[in-house]
Amino acid sequence: MPGPAAPAIGAGTQVPPIRLYNHVLPVLVVVAAVAVAILGFVTVAPNRLVSGRAVALWLAADPGLSVAVALLGAVLLAAACVSPRRAVHRATIVIAAALVLLILAAAGRAAATLMTSAPPAMRVSLGAGFWVLLGAAGLAVLDGLQRARAGIVAQLATALVIAAGFAAMAESGLFDALSLAREYRTRQDLFAAALTRHVVLVAAAIGPAVLIGFPLGVAAVRRPGWQGSLFAVLNLLQTVPSIALFGLLLVPLSALATAVPSLARLGIGGIGMAPALIALVLYALLPVVRSTVAGIGGVDSAVVDAARGMGMTRRQRFWRVELPLAMPVLLAGLRIVTVQAIGLAVVAALIGAGGLGSFVFEGLGQYAADLVLLGALPAIGLALAADFLLQSATVLLRRRTAQ
Amino acid sequence: MGIGGRSGIPHLTPALSAPGDGEGDSGERGSGVTLLLSLKITIPALIVAFVALAFAGTAMAAGAVVVASKIDTEGALLGNMIAEVIAAHGIAVERRIQLGPTNIVRAALLAGQIDLYPEYTGNGAVFFHRENDPAWKNSAQAYAEVQRLDMAENRLAWLSPAPANNTWVIAIRGDLSRFPERKCLDDLAAYLAEGGRFKLAASAEFVESPSALPAFEKTYGFHLKAQQLLTLSGGNTAATLRAAAEGISGVNAAMAYGTDGELAALGLTALCDDKGAQIVYAPAPVMRQAVLDQHPEIATMLEPVFASLTLETLQALNARIAVAGEDAGAVAADYLKTKHFLP
Repeated sequence: MPGPAAPAIGAGTQVPPIRLYNHVLPVLVVVAAVAVAILGFVTVAPNRLVSGRAVALWLAADPGLSVAVALLGAVLLAAACVSPRRAVHRATIVIAAALVLLILAAAGRAAATLMTSAPPAMRVSLGAGFWVLLGAAGLAVLDGLQRARAGIVAQLATALVIAAGFAAMAESGLFDALSLAREYRTRQDLFAAALTRHVVLVAAAIGPAVLIGFPLGVAAVRRPGWQGSLFAVLNLLQTVPSIALFGLLLVPLSALATAVPSLARLGIGGIGMAPALIALVLYALLPVVRSTVAGIGGVDSAVVDAARGMGMTRRQRFWRVELPLAMPVLLAGLRIVTVQAIGLAVVAALIGAGGLGSFVFEGLGQYAADLVLLGALPAIGLALAADFLLQSATVLLRRRTAQ
Repeated sequence: MGIGGRSGIPHLTPALSAPGDGEGDSGERGSGVTLLLSLKITIPALIVAFVALAFAGTAMAAGAVVVASKIDTEGALLGNMIAEVIAAHGIAVERRIQLGPTNIVRAALLAGQIDLYPEYTGNGAVFFHRENDPAWKNSAQAYAEVQRLDMAENRLAWLSPAPANNTWVIAIRGDLSRFPERKCLDDLAAYLAEGGRFKLAASAEFVESPSALPAFEKTYGFHLKAQQLLTLSGGNTAATLRAAAEGISGVNAAMAYGTDGELAALGLTALCDDKGAQIVYAPAPVMRQAVLDQHPEIATMLEPVFASLTLETLQALNARIAVAGEDAGAVAADYLKTKHFLP
């Protein structure tokens, strides 16, 4: 795909030299091509327990889909050689997003083809080649968004289009033959509840963690002498394994519930939400306090001095100077805490609090990788979504304060 | 920070980051105040709402019988059966199925947080630190013993057990050359004496606990050398069975549990322990006596159900969950329905 036609110099045709304007796309395409060549796109196992045999993309998927995947890859490679303009970046985003959906469709079709006339115990799972290919296509989308300097709306729109495409394909039953979808189908009724519970756990843990951690962090900035012992305690908390923490909390919380029946009626007890939330709050304290200390402590003392010089009271200095200036760091900290809590909330399943961890641990117990994925993939999705939302909130907030 | 590993999920690098979103520009001033003031009000309100929402979902129905189970396949199966049967008889049930590992579930029962769950008679040996008492190797004595001890010390009632034994077994691949036809542990001793190739995947607990592998070795007169063992830290038989089935690291035998449903699907055979080297692990509901006093009919309604759960039945039901991937609750309900245990 040559750029502006190069003027022919002298006689004969001279090929204009190919110039790479984008170094990311070729790397992604090469990595994906190598992965497709040497790794299985899907794996086929005689039953749910044993590991499968890898099947390459061109053997597993419909020939048309395989060719389409290769073609779109080639187009992306060509796009890297076109001089960078906004339209080129936009086209790259569209092609890469189409590639993401095409890879998903190829996996679904491959599973359906392999499962026809196969015994029902057989399982078709997503192979390493699929994940590398999907990852490369996803990174190509992100690269395009970055180069196009896409705003929040454009990013959100891209994510929504891909999600809608995925949902439509799932709705049409395209993925039904995949082992992951079969795990989902047997737990369909539990899935929504587990997902909701996971979100509730994270949200309910972050609130108290901020309410406790923020004042602690501010106190630590005011009295630096406290920092050593405070962080020693918080670091120690991080090292307590969650399962040990649950064991330690079970007896006192049960005793509390027995002593105060109204608490028990609220659902507070040695098992369930209460110990899970306490553990999540304790684990979230360290990053909350750390980013508070980094944020409030990082405010230029000259600015605070100036505010004092202007006659601001201590309270005014805090609310009007220190806190607004520390806000970007605090929000970045909140992002870290949220993403961390979404991952950590998986352990809540060990104390009967439910959440996506119930699939993860059930899958670990049965050595069923697809059941583990059924818990892990939505958790990853939640983490990405939360990260994106908080990032957008930060940008919006900054825009608003800048006015 | 090392916490990512504990969650079982690798930590994610934020992938969807807005471009040109450099941190720390200090351009904002003053006008952030209104925003902060509104945050001051909305954040606590949101927190209160979320915490209330979190607990609202779990608030206990007054007087409901709390049925729990361990977090494994058979725990889920038996826990669901118990809950299903009790609920079908018109008693309010709160389900805490797959609550957690043994120590958590047992502690929850002792603390009165749950009312009953399926446990194994042989675990009484561990709970009461009597691993060396030979009574645990006899199913009737083991049941009587754990019933007596738990009632005396904890006011816990052991209801009728199932006629199955989910004890530790050694399972071998079908293709071990020159292995005798009968497939008992005696035959393993003979096979090993002849220098047959053997490598066992087992948990550290199985290898070290005097009541497990050492008990087999003592009773049947063989000894496994260190290079004949592949020791895994966890007690997960799914991992050991898979190692044997796929011949990972030359493994051709696996530690397993008697009622594991995967054995047949993986082409593995459990070696019979005809000399009774192992403690008997018969599944039975264990219940707080205080709750049983309120609902004495629970004992009679669960008795025929557990009596029907033979080793083969449990293996078949566990296989539906672990091999075919069916939901434990659906398998339990289906079994109860086809056997007409529901009124």
